[in-house]
Amino acid sequence: MAEGVLSPGVNLEAFSQAIAAIQALRSSVTRVFDCLKDGMRNKETLEGREKSFVSCFQESLHSVSRDLSELERLSNLVGKPSENHPLHNSGLLSLDPVQDKTPLYSQLLQAYKWSNKLQYHAGLASGLLNQQSLKRSANQMGVSAKRRPKAQPTTLVLPPQYVDDVISRIDRMFPEMSIHLSRPNGTSAMLLVTLGKVLKVIVVMRSLFIDRTIVKGYNEDVHTEDGKVDIWSKSNYQVFQKVTDHATTALLHYQLPQMPDVVVRSFMTWLRSYIKLFQAPCQRCGKFLQDGLPPTWRDFRTLEAFHDTCRQ
Amino acid sequence: MCFLPRREREASIYKSLLQIDLKDYIVSAEPPSPSQGLVQPYVQTSGTMGVTCVSQMPVAEGKSVQQTVEILTRKLELLGAEKQGTFCVDCETYHTAASTMGNQGQAGKLMYVMHNSEYPLSCFALFENGPCLIADANFDVLMVKLKGFFQNAKANKIESRGTRYQYCDFLVKVGTVTMGPSARGISVEVEYCPCVVANDCWNLLMEFMQSFMGNHTPGIPSVFGNKHDSIYSPGDTMAQYMELFNKIRKQQQVPVAGIR
Repeated sequence: MAEGVLSPGVNLEAFSQAIAAIQALRSSVTRVFDCLKDGMRNKETLEGREKSFVSCFQESLHSVSRDLSELERLSNLVGKPSENHPLHNSGLLSLDPVQDKTPLYSQLLQAYKWSNKLQYHAGLASGLLNQQSLKRSANQMGVSAKRRPKAQPTTLVLPPQYVDDVISRIDRMFPEMSIHLSRPNGTSAMLLVTLGKVLKVIVVMRSLFIDRTIVKGYNEDVHTEDGKVDIWSKSNYQVFQKVTDHATTALLHYQLPQMPDVVVRSFMTWLRSYIKLFQAPCQRCGKFLQDGLPPTWRDFRTLEAFHDTCRQ
Repeated sequence: MCFLPRREREASIYKSLLQIDLKDYIVSAEPPSPSQGLVQPYVQTSGTMGVTCVSQMPVAEGKSVQQTVEILTRKLELLGAEKQGTFCVDCETYHTAASTMGNQGQAGKLMYVMHNSEYPLSCFALFENGPCLIADANFDVLMVKLKGFFQNAKANKIESRGTRYQYCDFLVKVGTVTMGPSARGISVEVEYCPCVVANDCWNLLMEFMQSFMGNHTPGIPSVFGNKHDSIYSPGDTMAQYMELFNKIRKQQQVPVAGIR
């Protein structure tokens, strides 16, 4: 295995010589410092002492520089073993003979593969998400790093009278759907939509934007004990929990920041297709039930009924 | 009126049974006054329930009632249904007493007084093809007081007991119908809780019943026919049980029926 990694650019002979050269270099350097440490001792006359010290020091420095140049020469012969390895120096971990005890190298490879894949997928996802931006108001379309403009966007400061008009027009449009508008907290409207004898929907609005929607059964209570509309608790029935999820998806699908009234109308048109929630079989598999649930999905364009898993 | 929401209902079944006894005692100690609103007309009830179909499952050939019930419940469990305790529906028959009959030639009408463990505080009184009355549970005591007008045919008492299963938004109750000491048949009640209009979800209900009853899936119950778009109520379920019990009473006793 070692051979596979090191050859052909590596000369093993030169390698061992280089190691010997390093040892020689280290010992000659040690000698220099020994000489410095010993200083000018053991000589009778001052001159003799100086002379011998300087010559000894000179000699040791010479040997250091000789060993160093020798090492440099050898290092050129040795070459650079890890240069062409994809993992660079970490590739040398594969030389570890105790593979079984410390599987560092295989783990490293695995991690590397994962991080590569993650980067790739994150790139794809960010590309896709940029195409279909889920921001629903016009002013937020700019670069996110920019500070929000101080003035409120015009679509958020519509007069309540206008909102009332839009809602009552929609209410008149669909005879089987009754919409009750209330403003329990300030100017934000809250709609209680009753669709035939099938379901009730609580829609929380901010101006003409729909912020939140909850679907409940016709026989379920939509009020809390103190008589307020209950905008938090979910339905007791699985089928309406599923429809709530789909309605939330629809909120994100229908968006047209310049014309919020069209958005509300499209959403209500889509919601109206649930009048046949229990009567329409799935358009793909032709059945009523799948995992105990009726077709809860309605296509955004054709309004056809599908099971959640049957839609494209 | 005595319709509790489902969650409270389950928790309170046994507690409320105790309370009924207490109330019964108080009521029988003093004569019930009509001003107490003891009996209210059925149209005023606010209680709703999911659309329900009650049907009879024939006993499988060469099997006992008990074995057929086991086969059925095993199928339900395989489907993914979860066991949720037990249920009981009982029915007593009352004859209109001869003394009250104006015309001697007219046959006495039968009245059925029924209880359902799903509505532990209520009592149901039904005439065949006639009105359904939903009263508080101490209506039974009133019937004792009315002995002169209605006589209890004790031998005709019939009941269905069994296990309650839940699967998604469906409730399934498989019960053994007993009359006196003998098992007479099997009742299957399927409720689809989210829907309140019978005709809306009949197809869906039928598809679900086919998945565990196979070719014994019943046809559309007659109470669905005259409901149109009105909201399904617990009284409709009791009417279905009454029809089922009448049908079973008329049948010959099942020869292999084991005593439970």
